Amino acid sequence: MGKYILKRICLAFITTFIILSLTFILIKLLPFQRPIGGDAQQIAYFDKQYNLGYVYRLDHEVDIYGSLLYKSPADHGRSNYYYQVPVLVQYGNWLRNIVTKWDWGYSKTFQPNVSASVIIQSRIWYSIRLNIISVIFSVPLGILLGIWAALKKNSMTDATISTMVMVFIAIPSFVLISFALRIFAYDLNWLPSTWPVDTAPLATRVKGYIIPVFCLSFGSVCYYCRYTRAELCEVMESEYLLLARTKGLTRRQAIVRHALKNAMVPIFPVILSEFIGILGGSMILESLYGIPGIGKLFVLSLNYKDYDILFVDMAIFTTISLLAGVVLDLSYGFIDPRIRMGAKK
Amino acid sequence: MSDKQIEFKSNDFDLVQENIRITDKKLDSKPTTFFKDALRRFRKNKSSVVGAIILAVLTTLAIFVPLLSTSNITDVRSQEKFLAPKLFEAGTGFWDGTRKYTHVTYDPINQVPAVSDKYSAKSLQNAIVSITVDETPSLEDNNSAYSTGGVVMLETDAELDNKDVYLTSKPVSFTDKGKYTVDIIFSDEANVYDHQLGEYCVYLQTGEKEDDRIMIRDFSTDYSPISFDISGALKEKGLSSANARLVFEVRSSASSLQYILIESVVLSGGERAKNLDVLAEVSFTDAASMINNADLNSMAYWSCSGRKGIHNAEIYYCDYVIDTYKLAYGDADPVTYSKTDLDNWIKNGYCTYDPQIGPESFVRLTDDCPIDHVESQTINNKTKKLASITGSGYKYRQFGYKEMPKFLLGTDASGFDLIKRSFAGLRTSLILGICTAAFCFLFGLVWGAISGYFGGNVDLLMERFCEILSGVPWIVIMTLCILHLGNNFLTFFLALCMTGWMSTAARTRTQFYRFKGREYVLASRTLGSSDIRLIFKHILPNSMGTIITSSVLMIPSVIFSEATLAYLNLGLQGQQSFGVMMSTNQQYLSIYPNLVIFPAVIIALMMISFNLFGNGLRDAFNPSLKGSD
Repeated sequence: MGKYILKRICLAFITTFIILSLTFILIKLLPFQRPIGGDAQQIAYFDKQYNLGYVYRLDHEVDIYGSLLYKSPADHGRSNYYYQVPVLVQYGNWLRNIVTKWDWGYSKTFQPNVSASVIIQSRIWYSIRLNIISVIFSVPLGILLGIWAALKKNSMTDATISTMVMVFIAIPSFVLISFALRIFAYDLNWLPSTWPVDTAPLATRVKGYIIPVFCLSFGSVCYYCRYTRAELCEVMESEYLLLARTKGLTRRQAIVRHALKNAMVPIFPVILSEFIGILGGSMILESLYGIPGIGKLFVLSLNYKDYDILFVDMAIFTTISLLAGVVLDLSYGFIDPRIRMGAKK
Repeated sequence: MSDKQIEFKSNDFDLVQENIRITDKKLDSKPTTFFKDALRRFRKNKSSVVGAIILAVLTTLAIFVPLLSTSNITDVRSQEKFLAPKLFEAGTGFWDGTRKYTHVTYDPINQVPAVSDKYSAKSLQNAIVSITVDETPSLEDNNSAYSTGGVVMLETDAELDNKDVYLTSKPVSFTDKGKYTVDIIFSDEANVYDHQLGEYCVYLQTGEKEDDRIMIRDFSTDYSPISFDISGALKEKGLSSANARLVFEVRSSASSLQYILIESVVLSGGERAKNLDVLAEVSFTDAASMINNADLNSMAYWSCSGRKGIHNAEIYYCDYVIDTYKLAYGDADPVTYSKTDLDNWIKNGYCTYDPQIGPESFVRLTDDCPIDHVESQTINNKTKKLASITGSGYKYRQFGYKEMPKFLLGTDASGFDLIKRSFAGLRTSLILGICTAAFCFLFGLVWGAISGYFGGNVDLLMERFCEILSGVPWIVIMTLCILHLGNNFLTFFLALCMTGWMSTAARTRTQFYRFKGREYVLASRTLGSSDIRLIFKHILPNSMGTIITSSVLMIPSVIFSEATLAYLNLGLQGQQSFGVMMSTNQQYLSIYPNLVIFPAVIIALMMISFNLFGNGLRDAFNPSLKGSD
């Protein structure tokens, strides 16, 4: 088992490395965007880039490095000329910077000269908080609805729940957000129509969570409900449950002690991976509701053409999704000893 | 042992079918193919059939609505924007192209709601279906062009170092014989904004110097009305005439802000006063109009060294229902045409007109006629003949319509017909989805077949490649492609294919692993079948069902991806796009919800029916359910 875990983690690490490298090179191949701000800010930016090894700094003009990126104003009669370093050399320097300094680059236009890790740190907590709350709401609700539907299988309740789940799982999230905003924020005027600022009173801030949490958990509730119902229905028809009933257990005892426990086995890893996967947040929800999380950062950095920040944001999303996959695979093995992923026959 | 004896005769041992030739018999039941059987089972699933029907209807609409509708969805026309949905004629009260607005400032002079000055009062009056103005005005302190009455609030200002405040009129000439008087009314409302009613004085500044003043009321806190005889005061001072300014002064206080409230100032003169019009201009009884007068050169302007505000101005609000179509396409503002123009029209046969009967006799004959009806005519006084006519035409003619247009679901911010735009966008999405699904189906099938059939190292390499590619979130791949190649149709197709084929490949591979070890494959192999034959003749048909299902379900996911990207400002350009339309309409959600709700319903319906359809398809193609019902 230990060997398998190690192998799986190593593989995920290599995959992440390859993907991030490719993404880095593709991002760096995009046309260079000039940072905004006055000369002082520009010089500060280019000097930082020079120290990180992404640009050349020369005291005269040359034409071997392609087009000139920036010429600093003359200081004591001489000015600096900045040129772009070849992308593959930049890639090498980038690796060195990450390994030695954990330096992920600086913002150009979005928040000039602020380091990417600072920007991410200031935003990631909004996404995490929101997603944890929505998981806390959606998991019990989804599982309970699923159990209810499974216990009343082929009844009116089951049909209603299943139909609702089927309908709501198909509705795209932006449609849901639009309707929630229209009804609760504009028509009824109960909830704020955008994310309240941090200085707003506590009651407003709590109210501000309702629409995003509702929209985020809606899909998951439906998903968990459908999954739980399917699993539980399968377990309910198994022979060991029949045995449990014949040996004298009541229906309730049989369900609680045997059926539920077994039905939860495949559900739990899904929850765990969803929990990690959802940390990425929803880009659409965050940009429509104005939540300053990392999903909104993606849209903002795209609008600002701040590709270094965009890259770091992409790196986070990639890492999170790969991590979720690994956790899903591994937790199957831990929870259900019969499943040995990748084991030899 | 029993003693009973059994006797056998020779014919007991005759063979039953001794003289009959036994051959294969044709089956009585009709033979069925895999797909026929699937179709039969699909039809039994009612909800899937409903889903399929809705899908077919939406697809048909997506193909034919953009082809058949003549509405404009390419040139931005701001005059036609935000028209309300219209099915019935205006006035029916439901779906009739009218829109209700509540609590809008009322313009009492033109008797219309004070909306943007883009529309003339006349066209607004024409278009309004019903309007209810508040019976009692709201009393407000903010200064609007449509407020009336109220009192002038003269206030010391902390930002101006809390100095004494002067409210000064323009200079007016007074004479001792003109019987000039001034009547001033104050209000003594206390604690406005928690400020203090202050000490003030009123005087006439007759010259430049400090002492050149005639005191009307010295510093006091008496807010009773003043009626002051200016001519008498001039006589007393020994002046025959003076060019004086009326000044109010409020004394400041260090502890709090001080104010006084002036309701009206009326200057009047007797018979011998020459400048009654100037007096009337300087005086004010309506505080709102005095405050609103910002023309520094006008006589009605009062300069102020502190804060000159308004308190309790009356403003009316109204609720009204307006016919958006009449406003956009109704009568244009009237234009006057000379008799020569009219004669030309009549000569060319555009219209007929009889000046003796008047405007009612106008009959429009052809579309070349620039006006639709005559409002008035003018007769030359000398010749008693027609001089000119004033008429107006319907504005919709300017946009090239033959009659008043009707948009079933209204128009959006660019003046585009929402229904046509939605279906045109849906068509692009469907084309994109079908192309992508077809490509992914073919490519994924080949990839999965090779990987699954050959296994071993080939499989290992191909799997690692898939693993890396599928590790990248689709949004990252899409973003990178769009940044490098621009957001056109081809890029979307390429990027969606890059992320889409792997699921088909994985499914095919699993199916191949499942079936390649089966006995019937082995049997065929021992008979010498080639790899190609095994793949396409024996394994693939069995796994076709699930692969087709997954490919069909790729179409809604492509539609969803396209819309999602539009919300991230990466939408499809150069084509009608459903996502771009939805995300631009999103900002009007609070004012014009119909622009968001209709596309949202369409896309939700599309997704639901695709899911229903896909579920039915999966069950129908599931080989384990074959013959079970």
